[in-house]
Amino acid sequence: MHLDFLISGFEKNRDKTALICDDKKFSYGDLLDNFYFFKKELLINRNIHSGSLVLLEGDFSFNTISLLLALTDNCCIIVPLNSSSKSDRNELIDIAGIEYVISLNDSDEAEFKSTGFSSSHELIKIIRERKNPGLILFSSGTSGKPKAAVHDFSGLLKKFRTKRDSLVTLNFLLFDHWGGLNTLFHTLSNNGTVVTTSDRSPDNICRLIEKHKIELLPSSPTFLNLLLMSEANKQYDLRSLKIISYGTEPMSAVTLKKLNSELPDVKFRQTYGLIETGVLRTKSKDDNSLWLKLGGEGFEVRVRDNILQIKSESNILGYLNYPAPFTEDGYFITGDEVETDGEYYRILGRKSEQINIGGEKVYPGEIENVIREFDNVADAVVYGEKNPVTGNILCADVKLFTDENASEFRVRLKKFCQSKLSKYKIPARINITEEINYSERFKKKLKNQSGP
Amino acid sequence: MRMITTEKINETIYNALDEINQLLPGEKKIQKTEGEILYGSGSRLDSLGMVNLIVAVEQRIQDELGQSIDLTDEKALSQKNSPFLTVKTLSDYIASLLNN
Repeated sequence: MHLDFLISGFEKNRDKTALICDDKKFSYGDLLDNFYFFKKELLINRNIHSGSLVLLEGDFSFNTISLLLALTDNCCIIVPLNSSSKSDRNELIDIAGIEYVISLNDSDEAEFKSTGFSSSHELIKIIRERKNPGLILFSSGTSGKPKAAVHDFSGLLKKFRTKRDSLVTLNFLLFDHWGGLNTLFHTLSNNGTVVTTSDRSPDNICRLIEKHKIELLPSSPTFLNLLLMSEANKQYDLRSLKIISYGTEPMSAVTLKKLNSELPDVKFRQTYGLIETGVLRTKSKDDNSLWLKLGGEGFEVRVRDNILQIKSESNILGYLNYPAPFTEDGYFITGDEVETDGEYYRILGRKSEQINIGGEKVYPGEIENVIREFDNVADAVVYGEKNPVTGNILCADVKLFTDENASEFRVRLKKFCQSKLSKYKIPARINITEEINYSERFKKKLKNQSGP
Repeated sequence: MRMITTEKINETIYNALDEINQLLPGEKKIQKTEGEILYGSGSRLDSLGMVNLIVAVEQRIQDELGQSIDLTDEKALSQKNSPFLTVKTLSDYIASLLNN
């Protein structure tokens, strides 16, 4: 009943393609039949009922998506987990207090297990009493342990009742990330086509765009950097592509400019969303601009001490394992520092990403932008390293297109930085590396980061 | 293990100074002599300049002598006499690290 708005659209579009998973097509009729099958299977054969706390482990696939919808409609509390997050899987199961595990293997076959645990956490009780579906997502915690953010799922789903344009969309963002689920629910609720893949390399993504005439690619700035480095966009026909959206980390002005010149017919849209708030509606000043309007129906946005605060119906109830992150009047403190210009905002980055160098604060993204402009630089990651003299020093790992003498390169790059940046923003340590260390989420890993 | 000579260490420090000097204006350039003051009274380097020099020396030692040293760990900072005063004190400190 929570998905009635989806189901009626599925019924009306039975013959339309809903999903293309690893190049195999499924219609809205197929999806609907599979959804009903799992709704029954869960209740009758698996004893997974309303209020059960269920880990759903896999990536976007026909069965995972059907199960996600069935669990939601049955009012379960769902913890999606991408198969590739295996390293901390057991820790996450413990933190969330999982009662049932449903795992999907590479052949898309489901395995059901009971953990024997029974959750009695206050936030879980609240969702059970409301008889609503729940959703738990993880975000990185300041102390190192992941934070389990608890949503009343019905709050997040509300916005999908408003009909919008439907496009052939690549579900690039991850299954256990709200960005990925947001793409899925948005596309299905407007009866568009969702293309899924577990191979998120630039080459495969461009191949899929050509083959399935994909129109919308939600992505991340780091992926877009990788795309430009790989030049995969030159090997495939990407003319179907209308919009590339990007979020999850601050975008570099250099990358955005390069993307606009490489893909002149594509509109680039910045999105802004957090696991704790859902995705806000945004409007960029123009294609080349990092300034955007934020908000939309159901969202109240304000800035306090340069930090963005958001109040919305889709805010989380709280964390299972951290204190509630709200102001007294119900705003979520995002931790993202912003600049404002009238009704436009510019996201500078997480306050915690700041590196403090002798009392001067530096955002790694700004330095990375400058380094990437320099000749022979393929990519760069900038981070802080503890230093007793200035608290931290700035370090840059740089990947080159062609080999050159390390010390000569360091001097050349420092001179270049000197012409563009304040003195404290010039990296003290420049390492030439074979590979930039990307995490599986296509975000830069911040190494040795520390405050003063 | 073969002793690394003072001459070799000085040469490495001078190479690092060459690197740093390319980024400094004329009047701030550091002389390549043993008695040259690096940090403290009469120094031409500010704290960032000093930090940059230390990192450059560490990287040169790594590149040219194949040894990894940390010049700003607790040990360095807790020395009775600061190793960072002159080229000679720095060279002596590096020799003590490399040859022990």
